Amino acid sequence: MNKIHPVIVLCMRVVLGIVFLVASYQKILDPQQFAREISNYHFIPLGLENVVAIILPWIEVFIGLGLILGIMIDGSSLISGVLLIMFNLLVIQAMIRGFNIECGCGLKEGQMVGWQKLMENMTLLITSYIIFNQKNRSFQLLPKTSLSE
Amino acid sequence: MITIPVFIGIIINIIKPESLPWAAEPILLIKNQKDLSVILSEPEIREIGLSVAFNLHNDGTLFVDAREEEYIKEGFITGAIYDDDIEGLAAKIDSLVGLDRPFVIYCSDDDCGSSEDLAYNLQDWGFTNILVFKGGWKMWTESGYQVQ
Repeated sequence: MNKIHPVIVLCMRVVLGIVFLVASYQKILDPQQFAREISNYHFIPLGLENVVAIILPWIEVFIGLGLILGIMIDGSSLISGVLLIMFNLLVIQAMIRGFNIECGCGLKEGQMVGWQKLMENMTLLITSYIIFNQKNRSFQLLPKTSLSE
Repeated sequence: MITIPVFIGIIINIIKPESLPWAAEPILLIKNQKDLSVILSEPEIREIGLSVAFNLHNDGTLFVDAREEEYIKEGFITGAIYDDDIEGLAAKIDSLVGLDRPFVIYCSDDDCGSSEDLAYNLQDWGFTNILVFKGGWKMWTESGYQVQ
């Protein structure tokens, strides 16, 4: 991949990080509501949506902080990418099954699953991919050392 | 990277006063209208099917439409009320049936989810006996029941 200026990559990290932090906020405040929104996808079995609702928002917090502060950027961008792929698969299966449900993304109240959500997630996924691939990075609180390679 | 947030999420859920149960409990399905006469010891949200919903509608039970206004404009179950503003809706329901008498909430179909969301919101407003009609508008109209 062509090299992108480190400042642009930093901006991408901050934007993606803020998206994850904002998304986690409401979910942490009201995990019950988030669990119901997960349940509406009719995808997670055995009542495990509660476990997801308890844990996932904190993973999003760590991704957000990691990207913004420059701590474990590889890990943060990789996990954000994996999550975004999972979110998109959930949205696609909901669309195929004809569910008219709120996405439960925590970003915009009342946002429904659909093409717009899919495109938003794809944009964020591409951003994660770019951040993961650009190794020339500016502002890292804990940069990679030769020992951590 | 994953372990720490997982650990934090679990610890916070354990120590906070209103912790979420580890496994979600499904909403109780009422199959027989007689079961509705059981006196509830605590606020509850229960699910009903088409036949119970139809009987309750005939008995004059209040129906609340949880769909977006654009869908409601196309029609709704006869006599149902709706309001985008939760405060206004809660006041309407309170004036019509009070906090403890049952009323039915529905949305577009089995999978819409907004009826359950509204039920939990209204429970927070003090309503203790809420019924969710899961089949919603789709099942009601497919059965040819009364709409307006």
